[in-house]
Amino acid sequence: MSEKFEDHQIRDKIQIDYKYTMGGQSKFFIELMKNKKLHGTKCAKCGKIWMPPRKHCSECYTPAEWVEMPHTGTIEVSTIVWYGAAEFIKNVPYGCGFIKLDGADNSLFQGIFSENLVPSKIKKGRRVRAVFKKSDEREGKMTDFFFVPEDEYETWANKPEFEGGE
Amino acid sequence: MHKKIAIIGIGITPFKARYLDKTYFELAYDATKLALEDANKNGAEITHKNLQSTVYGIYNELFERQFMPDIFINSYLGMNNKPGTRIATGGATGGYTVRMAYAEVASGISDLCLCLGVEKCNDCYDEQTGTTTPEVLNAIAYSADMTYEYPMGMMAASSYVTMVNAHFEEFGNPTEEQMALVSVKNHGNAMNNPKAQSPMKITVEDVMNSRIICYPFKMLDCCLYSEASAALILANEEKVKELKVENPIWITGVGAANTDCFIGNREDMGRLYSNIYAAKAAYKMADLDYDKIKDQIDCAELHDAFSGQEVISYEELGFVPFGEGGKWIESGGPFIDGEMPCCPCGGLIGCGHAVGATGIMSTGEAALQLRGDAGKHQLKTIEKGRAISHSIGGPGAAYAAVIIMTNEEGLKKP
Repeated sequence: MSEKFEDHQIRDKIQIDYKYTMGGQSKFFIELMKNKKLHGTKCAKCGKIWMPPRKHCSECYTPAEWVEMPHTGTIEVSTIVWYGAAEFIKNVPYGCGFIKLDGADNSLFQGIFSENLVPSKIKKGRRVRAVFKKSDEREGKMTDFFFVPEDEYETWANKPEFEGGE
Repeated sequence: MHKKIAIIGIGITPFKARYLDKTYFELAYDATKLALEDANKNGAEITHKNLQSTVYGIYNELFERQFMPDIFINSYLGMNNKPGTRIATGGATGGYTVRMAYAEVASGISDLCLCLGVEKCNDCYDEQTGTTTPEVLNAIAYSADMTYEYPMGMMAASSYVTMVNAHFEEFGNPTEEQMALVSVKNHGNAMNNPKAQSPMKITVEDVMNSRIICYPFKMLDCCLYSEASAALILANEEKVKELKVENPIWITGVGAANTDCFIGNREDMGRLYSNIYAAKAAYKMADLDYDKIKDQIDCAELHDAFSGQEVISYEELGFVPFGEGGKWIESGGPFIDGEMPCCPCGGLIGCGHAVGATGIMSTGEAALQLRGDAGKHQLKTIEKGRAISHSIGGPGAAYAAVIIMTNEEGLKKP
């Protein structure tokens, strides 16, 4: 006669703290935190603008130079998230998508906030503008800023916890 | 001429939401035992001691609560003092593992290789909600770029859905209803697969009415995470003869490609470029034609983590022209009794997704179809003797692997 199976489960956790260097990309985060500036990089050879920035052009294997980008751009594609990882579930529903900053060659993934978060409000082709956290809240991370539809810019920039770019 | 390498043993455990009675290495043992039994069914007597090497497919250390989980499996399987190598390529881990096991045997460094995938995700547990899924998704979310994407809530669903949305913007396809048909088909196919986690007889309306996950993906458009293991035993031609294998399934093409993991860097965001390059490489190796592939194979086990992604895969794997994937499923083409069945076992939507095990399961399932051993979900006719298995995964579906298999009859056909 086989023995009746009784299961045993234990509570456990894996956790690691970091002090992570941004290396050659440090300038992007410093400029974001201190000056609300968004910097891409431009390949000295082919002229491609990398955003997010890369210190070297992956196509030409040559150095790329820092270039300041505008705060405005166009939504290339987006979605609204209603369910997800434990880390983000407190934020749902949230909008996010790929934004091509004016003059950039590729698109940046970022949060897209709206007072009226419906798919049509954040669809492809919509113009957006960056809004930033207040200076004492900015940490030099991607979460220091987000995008809003251009017609909502003043509303978001005037909220007590946020501010507009210069 | 490529070396002839065959699948001679297939072992797949049931795909289940939770195994409370097994650890990941115990699941791996079960699949290995099943694969050995399958390899011996014509009278051979191979044991784990005859296996010369192992290639392990395990995606996520955080699921297993163990770094380098392969070495602990290696011990449990009694495979000490032999080479074992781990592959981890996101959702494409299974397909990539088959490719590397093929390479081990084809290169001559192993005559008999164990190709083993396992994953056990639902030990992750979110204390806040008292459920597993949000914590499983946490463990996966670290697959996105930790600096530029993860902090803003990039996850598997939000990553894949943007590509599907971009594809829709370009081609007006797939519509929500066309995506729902994939869910109907694959949950339905799983009704005949006793190892599947999510067999369901549902309608398009049921899918459309299920809760929204990530616009426009709904609950029933998404696969469930699963716990399982799958194993294949690969042998070279000499071993196939020596062991008197009666129904070897030959691997004639292995193709893989990694596209840019940053979706925003791609020329077109509505393309899963990795699919296209992996498929073309596999077809070329197998001497098949990208433009005629649908007429050259009997069935495909596709990677349908999300319904819309399967529709796009019809186009990228060359089954139909770009923009016509939605129309093809509306016409019934990929259904079990259709022109060229896709995911007859139920795929990921029907079976569940046990990441490292998934692509090895789908390769095993395609091989079983070619042998005529798929059981209740066996296709009525296998005419061409060829099948495809497809794996895709990683940030922005950056990794893809495509495997082409053929039975003895298929080798003789044009």
